[in-house]
Amino acid sequence: MIEAHDLTKRYGSKLAVDGISFTVQPGRVTGFLGPNGAGKSTTMRMIVGLDRPTHGTVTVNGRPYAEHRSPLTQVGALLEAKAVHTGRSARNHLRAIAATHGIGNKRVNEVISMTGLDTVAKRRVGGFSLGMGQRLGIAAALVGDPQTLILDEPVNGLDPEGVLWVRNLVKYLAASEGRTVFLSSHLMSEMAVTADHLIVIGRGKIIADGPVDTVISEATRSTVRVRSPQATDLAARLAGPAVTITPAEDGLLEVHGATAVEVGEIAAASGIVLHELTPLQGSLEDAYMSLTSDSVEYHSAEIPGAEPRATTTAATTTGEDAR
Amino acid sequence: MSTAVATEPPRTNAPLTPHKLTFGHLLRGEWIKFWSVRSTIWTLAIFLLATVGLVVLISLAFVNAPSPEEGGPPDASDALGPLSFAVTLGQLALAVLGALTITSEYTTGMIRSSLTAAPKRLPVLWSKAIVLVVAVLGASLVAVAAGTGLQWLFFDSQGLSVDFSDPDMIRPLVGTAVYLATIALFSYALGALMRHSAAAIATVLGLLLVAPILFSSIPWKPLTLMAPFLPGLAGQQLTQTDAQLEMSASFSDVGADLSAWEGYGVLVLWVVVVLGVAAVLLKKRDA
Repeated sequence: MIEAHDLTKRYGSKLAVDGISFTVQPGRVTGFLGPNGAGKSTTMRMIVGLDRPTHGTVTVNGRPYAEHRSPLTQVGALLEAKAVHTGRSARNHLRAIAATHGIGNKRVNEVISMTGLDTVAKRRVGGFSLGMGQRLGIAAALVGDPQTLILDEPVNGLDPEGVLWVRNLVKYLAASEGRTVFLSSHLMSEMAVTADHLIVIGRGKIIADGPVDTVISEATRSTVRVRSPQATDLAARLAGPAVTITPAEDGLLEVHGATAVEVGEIAAASGIVLHELTPLQGSLEDAYMSLTSDSVEYHSAEIPGAEPRATTTAATTTGEDAR
Repeated sequence: MSTAVATEPPRTNAPLTPHKLTFGHLLRGEWIKFWSVRSTIWTLAIFLLATVGLVVLISLAFVNAPSPEEGGPPDASDALGPLSFAVTLGQLALAVLGALTITSEYTTGMIRSSLTAAPKRLPVLWSKAIVLVVAVLGASLVAVAAGTGLQWLFFDSQGLSVDFSDPDMIRPLVGTAVYLATIALFSYALGALMRHSAAAIATVLGLLLVAPILFSSIPWKPLTLMAPFLPGLAGQQLTQTDAQLEMSASFSDVGADLSAWEGYGVLVLWVVVVLGVAAVLLKKRDA
């Protein structure tokens, strides 16, 4: 369990993490989402004591990370790929880390084969690809068989097989072994299938903290697609302050802010024929975009002629939706 | 990559063995780190080759030179001459090794792995220093023994050969190894302070090589007075016999004449100050 309380980090005049408090519970995978520069890595570095908080505290299983007698069996961390001496072989790197806790070569060999590094373990790390470096970082995080796993962008640079492996591993460790897993990723589709719980951070502040489904449904407005020969009539009856209606094509409406149940009941009450009534589920990506749109630090330039960013899975949008 | 990916084997929740972070384990980890990079092997090999090689070359040159009356080899009181010269050059390889031991962790990012494994930080600094000193002391003793041993063979235990039975010789011989280990540690301390390979190596080479020349060639009294307190010059007092120290003291009319242990004490003071500041900063700075 990781508990952060009023955690703050200031670099010079820049407030990287702004008084955040959160809890990462054991037994589930907690995803940590946020745009570049939102403070994800800084937060993770503060958990393992690499950065000193300007203010506030963070504890792992009840005490600050540095106070544990056996830090590597408490927390395994992958903070950035290749926090490794490039001139050392992968195996010696792991042996040196393991030796600091009296962990023997048996466990080192175990994590080497677990991460699929057997064939390259004797090679110097300098020649490793991004994916192999990432596997080595995960191996180093696992070597202490830790109760808590902190992974910053673990699937970055991994091949599809590696992505699937990381997903299954963290789910297994959390669900079957009751360990704490704290995972950051930019790949929101990956996060949607891996995480059970989400913490979304933007500009150093927590924007959302809850189960994945809740975060998605709260952040995305419910959208319903309705097809009716009496579309214009229906639109007039649905209209209200919380409801936005976008005519997509002739006889097809997209209704934002009302549920399928409400639309269906209004139509029935008015005797309007419906040919289609489809609730459109928001995706995590939509939720993420909508949550962080105000807190993106580094905006990309608009690409002329590019499709506007979709806010629902059905990608027909109007000016109201395209940000 | 197409290597097979295994899944985590099921294991019981409680840790089976009580793995713990101890200073002894930390030393073991640093020992593995120290010997598993090429720069260690290279710098130690260059040091051994340069030191032993120079002693051999200088000895051979004297063996073949004419007698003392014709300006040939000096007598046995200068028996340490070849070693002193060799050490002045050989120490540079050790200075590079000392700095790289810690700066390479900063340039590669390894330091973050090291400090995550030992989050109290200072034990990392101490254990690295101990491993470095032990390894360099061992290599230096080998170099001193091999160099002076070969010198002794070349002179057939006569003339310029080092008299190992003379108790006055033991202190400078062992002192040479101690001096070399301390120089490596001094360079390590500068590396820990600067966290940058080039900056640390340039500084230590400047202090060991350039500063003594500069201080003696500029005729400004404060510089002349400070020169004996430079880390290299002060520490090298320990590598000289008492007779040699007395002789050089009688030649110099200005500045302090440090005894062997006083000189070494000055070098140790340099190390303590630099390493102390580095330790405080290591504790305070973000890694």
